[in-house]
Amino acid sequence: MTASPGTGQHPSMDDPRIMLDGQIGQFETVPPYPPRTERESEFYSLRDGEMFLNMGPQHPATHGVLRVVLKINGEQVVDLDPVLGYLHRGVEKLCENSDYHHIISQVDPLEYVSSLFTEWAPVMAFEQLLDVQVPRRAEYIRVLTGELLRISSHILYQGWIALDLGGLTPILYSFIERDEIVEMLAAITGQRMLFNYFRIGGVNGDLNHEFMSRLGDWMSRAAKQHEANIGLLNENEIFVRRMRDIGRLDRTTALRMATSGPNLRSAGVPYDVRRAHPYSVYPELDFDIPVRGTNGGGDSLDRYLLRMDEVRESLKIIDQCLHNMPDGPVMARLPRLLRPRPGRAWAAVEAPRGLYGTYVISDGTDQPFRMKIHDPSFVNMQLVGLLMKGNLIADTMAVMASLDPVMGGIDK
Amino acid sequence: MDRPLRTRLETRFADKLTGPVRQRHDQTEIRIGPGDLIEVMTALHDEPELCFELLADLAGVDTGDHMQVVYHVWSATTPDWLRVIADGLPRDNPRIPSLTGLWPGAEWMERETYDMFGIIFEGNRDLRRIYMPPDYASFPLRKDFYLPDDAARSPGGGVRHMEQTVAPVQATERVVRRTVKA
Repeated sequence: MTASPGTGQHPSMDDPRIMLDGQIGQFETVPPYPPRTERESEFYSLRDGEMFLNMGPQHPATHGVLRVVLKINGEQVVDLDPVLGYLHRGVEKLCENSDYHHIISQVDPLEYVSSLFTEWAPVMAFEQLLDVQVPRRAEYIRVLTGELLRISSHILYQGWIALDLGGLTPILYSFIERDEIVEMLAAITGQRMLFNYFRIGGVNGDLNHEFMSRLGDWMSRAAKQHEANIGLLNENEIFVRRMRDIGRLDRTTALRMATSGPNLRSAGVPYDVRRAHPYSVYPELDFDIPVRGTNGGGDSLDRYLLRMDEVRESLKIIDQCLHNMPDGPVMARLPRLLRPRPGRAWAAVEAPRGLYGTYVISDGTDQPFRMKIHDPSFVNMQLVGLLMKGNLIADTMAVMASLDPVMGGIDK
Repeated sequence: MDRPLRTRLETRFADKLTGPVRQRHDQTEIRIGPGDLIEVMTALHDEPELCFELLADLAGVDTGDHMQVVYHVWSATTPDWLRVIADGLPRDNPRIPSLTGLWPGAEWMERETYDMFGIIFEGNRDLRRIYMPPDYASFPLRKDFYLPDDAARSPGGGVRHMEQTVAPVQATERVVRRTVKA
């Protein structure tokens, strides 16, 4: 932006001349350089009747700063090209320059809707490197808080998906529940969103009275409230009609697209990391893995309903955690400065959006040599391009919202 | 640890493995050359007694000496994670075949690895930068790329390295301070 001539002052953003002189179309739909790949040249060449439509990077339905270039023919989406990177912070590089304890706070803002899971996978990987035995009470607390956050994330998903389709009411009820959950987590962690609660070898603090009393109050009405909330949407004809048969994903495609989590389970694959690679105390707990779309794959409605089923299972897990919670310490004894022996470790947890994994290489210093974070939203986001072809523009919202992406994790 | 899996892998891929099969915690690890990748991965994916259907992760690694691409795959036939390390990619021209023929979902993961390490995945139809801007020329996760507070030792020698577009190949001095035997 150039300074206003003659004044010598830095231009103010309120100056109306900026709108005239400045770059208005900063996000040109067609890139100002020749196509770099086969796919790009295919996408950015138009056939008869087609046009480009730029959506984002700021758009209420993209769940963060995502830009999608749609190639449309009338109302129909022919193809689309998601453009990422507006939220890229280089978290992996930062982690490789932080010591092991510090990393827990670095990874927190990745998936900011359910940030305990972003701590859980790295912490588990570091514990493998160090061969630490985590106290059982700490494992139960991890499962308890994790499942609470899974419920909060899925409930928020219900609100967002309705909002993207034009329904305002469910999100108000979603936030009542979510607020109660983050408040009780704030009672033990001191934070409402980026908890920074898990530690290598345990958790930061034991459960306290405020948490337990809030949890008890909430549990006494949670199941009933959940059924009431899903009744708002499940019995809404507009919602069901807009979700049914839109964006159908079958088993083979889902596996080939490396999808995980609820999106994979709603395509008929009963894959859940909690059962496939049991970690923490999940083998001791009794819960089911909801699966939908076993004949012919699942649509957007299946993906929504599956998450609502998962909330019921999570409530079951929380109930068992509260009954089986052992006494004892919540932290293993560890030195302040951790120098694991050189080696490699991979740990994955089942986050609300799918498999959340961390691959760590230690070179014997107090910082990991390489730390790779696998975020489920990143992989699931690829499905948008696949599922959208042939649908209407208005359904982009339904499909994208039903995949439940979080841009913080996608852009890392 | 799944001991039978180790025997199965050793007998099936005896001529392909470039190192011993390692097992630790719930992970089994095999090491292959980049040329054998497609053959090994197709066998792992297709053969019913292996049946590794889900690609859980794809990670690039710059050991400071050479590059690796690390795949984690899941199968219902074993409780272990299988880690496949495609080893020994030269740092000045890392090339490896793309897995998008087997798992189209690997496309973005390969784009990310290309963006961060400059590893060329041959056969990926859309190998362009995914996070960094198109005119960016460095590969940030390489071990000769330093954070801005460490700029004096970075290849461009600039003050704000993150904003520079100097490719490591054009840099006058390339320093790798940390290496690992991975």
